[in-house]
Amino acid sequence: MNYSPDFSVVLDNWPVLARGLWVTIQIWLPSIALGLIGGFLISQARLSSRRWLSIPSLVYVELFRDTPVLIQLIWFFYAFPILIGVQLTPFTAALLGLTLNTTAYSAEIFRGGIKSIHRGQMEGAKAIGMTHAQAMRRVILPQVIKRMLPAFTNRMIEVAKMSSLASVISVHELMYQGRLLSSTYYRPFEILTAVAFIYFVLIYPGTFLAGRLEKRLARSS
Amino acid sequence: MDYSWDFGPVIARFDMLAIGFLNTIKIAIVSILLGVVVGLVLVLMRLSPRKWLSWPAAIFIEFYRNTPPIVHFFWFFYALPVLLSVSLDPYVAAVLALSTQSGAFYAEVFRGGIVSIERGQWEGARALGMTHAALMRRIIVPQAISRMVPPFIERSFELLKTTALASTLAYADLLYQAMMVNAETFRPLEVYTTIALMYLVLLVTASQLARLAEARLTAYQ
Repeated sequence: MNYSPDFSVVLDNWPVLARGLWVTIQIWLPSIALGLIGGFLISQARLSSRRWLSIPSLVYVELFRDTPVLIQLIWFFYAFPILIGVQLTPFTAALLGLTLNTTAYSAEIFRGGIKSIHRGQMEGAKAIGMTHAQAMRRVILPQVIKRMLPAFTNRMIEVAKMSSLASVISVHELMYQGRLLSSTYYRPFEILTAVAFIYFVLIYPGTFLAGRLEKRLARSS
Repeated sequence: MDYSWDFGPVIARFDMLAIGFLNTIKIAIVSILLGVVVGLVLVLMRLSPRKWLSWPAAIFIEFYRNTPPIVHFFWFFYALPVLLSVSLDPYVAAVLALSTQSGAFYAEVFRGGIVSIERGQWEGARALGMTHAALMRRIIVPQAISRMVPPFIERSFELLKTTALASTLAYADLLYQAMMVNAETFRPLEVYTTIALMYLVLLVTASQLARLAEARLTAYQ
């Protein structure tokens, strides 16, 4: 234990890490936003009584939930371009993989939430003349979103963590920059510890918020 | 879309993938077992009335839960050896990363089960003159275990997926072996599709087994 850490290498290179953090945010937030929209659509297909909608969406959700996300990113970067005959940039492949992954998980969150609302409410809304879409928007979704807020916050945390895997397909995000710096300066202890702290600062507020939301929801119900 | 699939070269090297498949299972089992040990130690510390025990455990748990797994892998492989001036092989570093990380999550699972037992039971057992250890062993833990089973299984399922990151340290797991096969065959589409399916089979089988175990372990509730 006679190693003397020298964190000045982190301070000297903070612009590099900041650039990485910015790319992390650029993958993270869009894949959450797009994944939520996609997830809602898939949950509708999944809850549909039409088999040609519900079965493919079930397969889609299970495919993404039952394979490691790293495999999904690698597949979209190395395998998918061959199939479509167009080379994807690492960033596009990562965004695509994470968005489709988030779509699958949030579809399950939406589905669970919608199913937890009593059937009577949908029937009641329809009885007073609302269309399915109106009942969804005005009656069901406002309740679902409130109930599902902790689950969505947890998903945001998971996606922030997953975004670090984009470094494997050389997206220049935080983890990638950290790896690059630590091999350039041969100061892996200082740099990787700093990277871990930056991720902690990025992710912890979400965990804290999810915990608070869960407690508030438990009290109000 | 005029790509012609050819699984021949991949099937010819299926033995390499089989080795990776077994290594993935091996590292998952070893890490789950060690993770349980880490989790038990952490939860005992975390629930201790002594602050010098509970605080470090709480910090450790929060730090692990809020940083990406890939950072842990790299930290154990590149940073820890510098700190201790020893060298770790990829397998040891990956097991350390997986077991400490799942240990942090397991500790929260165990804690959730224990604190979910109503106060009255603690008080009643104390009123009967039981010591803390006897009360834990006879009253709290037997009831808490069945409540811990579902989240424990969920966490272990996550761990099984996270093992794919061991490939980034060049441990010969399924993903790493696939990269080797790809380097020999230049058939990324076939290789990565094959291993995605292998992971799917592994994870679906694991989740079915877990469902059976869960039904048995929580049967008397």
